[in-house]
Order: sequence, then structure tokens, then C-alpha cells
Amino acid sequence: MRRFRLPPQILRLVLVALAIVGSYLVARSFLVPPSFGKYGWYRGDSLTLIASRDPVFAGKKACDECHSDILHNLAVDAHKTLSCEGCHGVCQEHCNNPDILPDKTTGSHCIRCHEANLARPAWLKQIVVKDHYGPKCTECHLPHQPTKTP
Amino acid sequence: MKNQISRRSSLLRMGAAFLGLVTLSAARAAKAAVQTVFVSTSAPKGYDPTRHKWLMCIDDNKCIGCGLCAEACKKENGVPEGPYYRTWIERYIIPKPKPGSDQTRGEAIVDSPNGGMHGFPEPTLPKDQIEHAFFVPKLCNLCENPPCVQVCPVGATFRAPDGAVLIDPKYCIGCAFCVQACPYGSRFLNPVTHTAEKCTLCYHRITRGLKPACVEICPAEARIFGDLKNLPADDPLQKFYEKNRVQVLKPHLGTEPRVLYAGLDKEVR
Repeated sequence: MRRFRLPPQILRLVLVALAIVGSYLVARSFLVPPSFGKYGWYRGDSLTLIASRDPVFAGKKACDECHSDILHNLAVDAHKTLSCEGCHGVCQEHCNNPDILPDKTTGSHCIRCHEANLARPAWLKQIVVKDHYGPKCTECHLPHQPTKTP
Repeated sequence: MKNQISRRSSLLRMGAAFLGLVTLSAARAAKAAVQTVFVSTSAPKGYDPTRHKWLMCIDDNKCIGCGLCAEACKKENGVPEGPYYRTWIERYIIPKPKPGSDQTRGEAIVDSPNGGMHGFPEPTLPKDQIEHAFFVPKLCNLCENPPCVQVCPVGATFRAPDGAVLIDPKYCIGCAFCVQACPYGSRFLNPVTHTAEKCTLCYHRITRGLKPACVEICPAEARIFGDLKNLPADDPLQKFYEKNRVQVLKPHLGTEPRVLYAGLDKEVR
């Protein structure tokens, strides 16, 4: 009985196909990032990459560590929902080193919220600045306890 | 004898095996070197995205249009100057109907100068012609079925298990398909990096246990943010749910947003 032999042209085709698949698998193992498919059809490490940014705003909890007396006053009055950094500016550096004062240029003033605007909700106390008494808000209003006078 | 191994052939075989081992270890080293390009470090440890499910709610009755959120977002995320916003405030002005018309209200006028960052100028319409005006904060709607993810040709944008829709900045090629696909206009091309950018829910903050910058800074508590998988009974999100009837933007598109609004007008899209 004659032994079956693969025709040489077929053998070459099979070898070429194997080489193509093999080189694809090698390239794939090199190029697919290790964390791909960890959570889904994307690179799992990109989550940590996106999360590796440093926060800019310290948050109210950080302020509470040293200024709990002021925060206590704030919490019992109308401005209790305000964040410290909204008015005083970014405080991250100030948290790390108290000698560096909060960045005042990034803070804001009373008028930003309390200037009369048609689209503002009625529950918010609003003033028309040019008709309102006085050039300085803090002469008559305490920012941390707005219902009290100095 | 046929099966006898000569000294020459055994030496050759050993040499070949040694060469194979060397090339294998070299290939491993090369693979590790290639893959360090993809791997990053210096992120907060111990955050497991499968154990959180973030939800953003917006109480529109409370928004006072101060623009602190838009400004804080820019500072927090280093968004370039110019008309690029990850979150912004829109002002809707609804005029009174024209006298004699059978409509209940006029056509809404929407504006958002500088994303509302520096306040809103007086409306061009005289006061007596305005029926109603209000502010609406906008941001990425964190869709369950995000169209932006579907259209990305390189798979750079995806929906993380914690609900945040994110962009892999190393994979994004800046083709802006996603910018066109987003029905809420929440994406833009960063003019510095030339990659797409969007609200990440301040991913670097929430993974460290902080609130997103816009939620932290909002003076009126118009933005409520929480983790549905770790929700204490007294959480503001829980209270918001109990108090309000909520809706989403463009529900007919089937994107299933995870940003819920309370107190919206029908004109808001």
C-alpha cells in the first residue's frame, strides 16, 4: 500500500498559513496591554491612569480639621450649604502648609450669587447692586453667619 | 546503526536548545518593555471599580446660576481656556406668547456665555415679555448605552463598571466621532492634547473618597452625588430620591442616562 503524502504545494500553503497565524499571535501577545479585558473590552490600567491626577480642591472636610469653630458657625446659619473654597479659593496648598494662604484670585464674592437675576430662583436673596446700600457687604453682613450683623 | 546519536548532532541539539532559551527570554524582556508603555503608576490604591456605582442628581430648583461649578471643573481638571467645558450652565428664557396667538408660551431662548462661568448678562428680551427663566447645569449624562462608546473606532472610550464613561488618553486618536455622537454635547477635542475629553466625574477625586469638584463647590446643593452600592440611609442622594420626581434628558434616544434631574421644564433638552 502506498503511503499518503501531502502534495508539496498544499504543504507550502499550510506552512504559509501557519506562519501568518503565528506571526499574528506573536504580534498580539506583544501589543495587547496586560490589563486589557480586566473589566471589559478596554485597558483596565487606563482607570488608574485617569485617577492618577492630583486633586486641586481640598474639600470642606480638610478645612474642618483646623477651622472647625468657623465651620460650626457656618453650619447653623443660612450659608451652611456653601463650600469654603467657593469663596476663599483653592486651599490644597494651604492644607499642606498653613503659611501659604488660600489662592484668593480663585475665590469669589457675595455678588456672584446674590446679584439680582431674572433666572435665579425666588428663594435666593438677591439685590440690585447699584440700588443697595453701601460699597462693602461685610460692613453690615457677616459672611459666615449672614442672618447676623457685626 | 540508525538510532545512534553522534557527538556532533547532540552538541548541535544542545546548542539549538540554548539559543532557543536565550531568544525566549529576550522576547519576554522585549514584551515587558513594550508593555510598560501601556502601564501607568501613581494612582490611588485600593479602589475597586466593581464595588461602586456612581450616580449624579441635579435639583434644578436649587441652581442659582453662579457658575462656580463650571469654573471649579476647569481648575480641577486643567481644562484649557476657551470654549471647552466638561460641565456648564445653560440659561433658558421662555418668553410670553405673542398677543393673539393660541400658544401657551413663546419659543425658548437658550444661552450659556462662557459656559456660565462668569455669570449671565441681562436678557436681551424686556422683563415684561419673559414668562419664565431658569438655569440648567449640564454635564456628561453617564449613559448606560453610550453612543460615544459605540462609535469609537479604536475602543479608547468605554464605560467603567462604576458607571463612569471614560476616555483612555493613550488610545484616543482624536478623530472626534464621539464628539459628534454625544447627543448631550458633553465632549470636545482638547486643543492641547488633541484627544477627546469629557467629564470623568472627577475620577481622581472619587477614587480618593472626595466628591467631584462641581459637587464640592456648589453653594446651593443643586448637585447631589452618591454611590448606589454604598448608600447610607441619611445620604443626600437617598433624601433627594424620596423628595423628588426625577427625569432624564432626551429619554426617547434610549441612552438611559444616569444623571437624574428634578424640577426640569419641558423645553430642556
